Amino acid sequence: MDALALFGVFLKASALSLGGLSSLPLLRGDLVAPGIATDDQVIQAIAIGRISTGPNGLYIVSLGYLVAGVVGATMALLAASLPPLVIVPITAAARRWLVATPVAGLVRGVALATAGLLAATGIGIVSATGTPSLWQLALAAIAVVLTYRGTVHPAIVIAIGAASGLALGR
Amino acid sequence: MLLIRRLAVERERWMSAREFGEVWALSQLSPGIHLVALAGLIGRRAAGWRGVIAAVAGMMIPAAAITVALTAAYEMIAASALARAALAGVAPVTGGMTIATAALLVRTSARHGRTHLAIDLAVCLASLVAAVFLGIPTLAAIGAGAAIGALALGREPPTSRESSVG
Repeated sequence: MDALALFGVFLKASALSLGGLSSLPLLRGDLVAPGIATDDQVIQAIAIGRISTGPNGLYIVSLGYLVAGVVGATMALLAASLPPLVIVPITAAARRWLVATPVAGLVRGVALATAGLLAATGIGIVSATGTPSLWQLALAAIAVVLTYRGTVHPAIVIAIGAASGLALGR
Repeated sequence: MLLIRRLAVERERWMSAREFGEVWALSQLSPGIHLVALAGLIGRRAAGWRGVIAAVAGMMIPAAAITVALTAAYEMIAASALARAALAGVAPVTGGMTIATAALLVRTSARHGRTHLAIDLAVCLASLVAAVFLGIPTLAAIGAGAAIGALALGREPPTSRESSVG
């Protein structure tokens, strides 16, 4: 896949998502299904994105690097940085329009649909390498609770997963 | 978010606390990463379009460089037996984190009241079922959510405006 096409895939996922990880369903569909990236790479990118500094949405930079090196990472960085900025001129020109009822409804509808898609993607990732074993299901459940409550740093949650994998995954 | 607020409101006094609340709410309407939109809006307020570029570059470039460095370091050991074993545990954890992010997105977006909440959860569940069992394309599900939302989900404010999912 050439750099411009990769930029297009990342830009589409970024422009049609709402917040950090919500670009994942589109990206997984456009990259994993055609064989450009693997589920393992997606999992590695999410984990690194959570450990690294900056917004969670920067996992796409890690995925860009895994798929196409520094060029891929640069394309992903540009694609992540540009779409959110449309809000700047819109705010300047039509602030009142932004708080209109249909806009609030549209954003809510996209967020709710995206939440369903994200949950589906999460289930897909848990079962990406075949039927998960009991300890893997337990790990997934622990990660859901800890991430939802937000009291434990994501890096610690990932470390728990890696340690469990080393102990039980061989 | 709290660090950005402290810098913009308390230390540099680019805006008042009320204005910060306003740009924060506006940033939640943006596509993509909301923190980028927030940085852009604060940057514009502080120094016009040059402020937008400086704020977004300052937020994204160092973090992206660290992310690339971590990814490159990981790639060196990715093929080893130990890394493969660790991945067997990291995979369910990242899946769980993704499911939790979905739940947080619902918590931030769903409306008050039993009927409204039931309708909002139904939209979310329909999208989940469409993706898992019906093989509906992701783009179609997002488009359907946007259309249903614009026509029917605009009445009540979300239950929480001060929590963010990224």
